Amino acid sequence: MSLILDGVGKRFITKHRVVHTLENVTLKINQGEFLCLLGPSGCGKSTLLNIAAGLEKPTTGKVYFKEKEITEAGPDRAVMFQEAALFPWLNVIDNVEFAMRMSGMPKKERKEKALQVLKMVHLTEFQDSFIHELSGGMRQRVALARALTMDADLLLMDEPFAALDSQTKNILQMELQQIWWDTKKTIIFVTHDVKEAVLLADRVIVMAANPGRIKKEIKIQLARPRCLESLDTAYVEAQIMRELKNEVEKVAKAEYDSDWDLEKDTILLGPDHYLGIGL
Amino acid sequence: MAYELGVEYLKVWQPNGFPSPINIAKTLEILLVDHTLGIAVLTSITRLAIGYGISLVLGFLFALIMLRFKALQENLSPLLLGLQTLPNVCWVPLAVLWFGLRESTIIFVVVIGSTFAITLAVESGVKNVKSIYLRAAQTMGAKGLKTYQNVALPAALPEIINGMKQGWAFAWRGLISGEMLMQVKGLGEILIVGKEKADINQIIAIMVVIIVLGLMVNKLVFERVEANIRYRWGLD
Ligand SMILES: Nc1ncnc2c1ncn2[C@@H]1O[C@H](COP(=O)(O)OP(=O)(O)OP(=O)(O)O)[C@@H](O)[C@H]1O
Ligand SMILES: [Mg+2]
Repeated sequence: MSLILDGVGKRFITKHRVVHTLENVTLKINQGEFLCLLGPSGCGKSTLLNIAAGLEKPTTGKVYFKEKEITEAGPDRAVMFQEAALFPWLNVIDNVEFAMRMSGMPKKERKEKALQVLKMVHLTEFQDSFIHELSGGMRQRVALARALTMDADLLLMDEPFAALDSQTKNILQMELQQIWWDTKKTIIFVTHDVKEAVLLADRVIVMAANPGRIKKEIKIQLARPRCLESLDTAYVEAQIMRELKNEVEKVAKAEYDSDWDLEKDTILLGPDHYLGIGL
Repeated sequence: MAYELGVEYLKVWQPNGFPSPINIAKTLEILLVDHTLGIAVLTSITRLAIGYGISLVLGFLFALIMLRFKALQENLSPLLLGLQTLPNVCWVPLAVLWFGLRESTIIFVVVIGSTFAITLAVESGVKNVKSIYLRAAQTMGAKGLKTYQNVALPAALPEIINGMKQGWAFAWRGLISGEMLMQVKGLGEILIVGKEKADINQIIAIMVVIIVLGLMVNKLVFERVEANIRYRWGLD
């Protein structure tokens, strides 16, 4: 067992209100598993990932990584943030070397390894560029390379490809699938793209909002390597969509009958209302 | 040309209150030839370098201490802002009482003028660093001083450089006012001598020297560092 979330809940208390972001999330992630968290905007995916990273403390419940309780962030759990979070004062290779420098690895070894991972994401030519000289997709690849240098067994990825065009996205998804296959890392991957989840995941955890919780768990048992064009992938995707749709209708009915307060209503009527009800 | 027009034809300026550029150049030449200027520039610049160097060290140190202890930060920030409004000259009498008429007195005036500008810039620069950088660094194993050295300070550098520039300007002011009031060798002293001789040429000549020196350092040091930062961050 790699990561265990045990009854995790999270409330944010701000000046204006108390936000109940997560409630009783219990989840076990196996060593080497590729897990996708799928859910509407605001259901607490990033919060859950930050808790696993140790950047945020759960209000209730406990989180264990390799049988040890998580108390702080550390290099044994690599994180790829929603925005690339690269350092603008360093060039590409120095960014990639950062974690290794922090761990005190000698210069020569560091450089060798950095070049090796830059090769994996096909960016060796840009090693001396500064971050603002790269496209969004290249930045995400640098961020991925940086995360890979850490040799962490667990890789936490927060919608890393969400802001990219579909071609770039697809290339990176394929690269990630390959890298995961080669390195046997455990990956938790946040997305709100069903296609992406089906393409990458061994298991998809569907989350619902208000409060954020696990709604459904779906195993994806397709052969790898998977590709977007294959019929199998499309078939499973349609299946999940259908299941989600049933879910949407069920939940909508139940929730329509019960008392809805104004705040929940506005959220349901928002742009995410389809995912919001369904998940 | 413009000068001659003003003085001779329009009579707007008095020749002894607003000297001709030619006379200023002549005075500069005299000061150069008898080595007064060279020696004065050297002593002044040495003082400045020592004073500014101390300011940098103290400025960063104070800032780091303030950042480390929140209570200090809340109490000291307004005090430092208040102290900043105090012109350097005000410190001269106090410094003379404390140190006497010595070299260290002027250095003290230089240091006290520029340290706080640097402290405030470092402190606010580090506080304004995007939290995503710090969080990212944390997940990569950066801790304590390493975080400051590798993330917080480099990320705050654009703001810190501004504070260092401001500190540099304050250091100059402290230096010249100190030298003027204490009459020790240096550019400030030549200014005062100029005043006592009622030699407007000398006064303006020294002012020009001070401006040129200031501009040179700005061009050679600060602008280069800034250009480098702008290039790295893509701010152009
Ligand atoms: N630091 C915070 N302070 C207060 N509320 C917060 C904080 N962080 C998150 N929240 C709240 O928690 C909820 C979930 O936020 P989170 O960022 O985890 O959503 P998400 O599922 O990642 O959404 P998205 O898909 O848009 O990234 C939101 O309602 C948000 O307002
Ligand atoms: Mg998010």
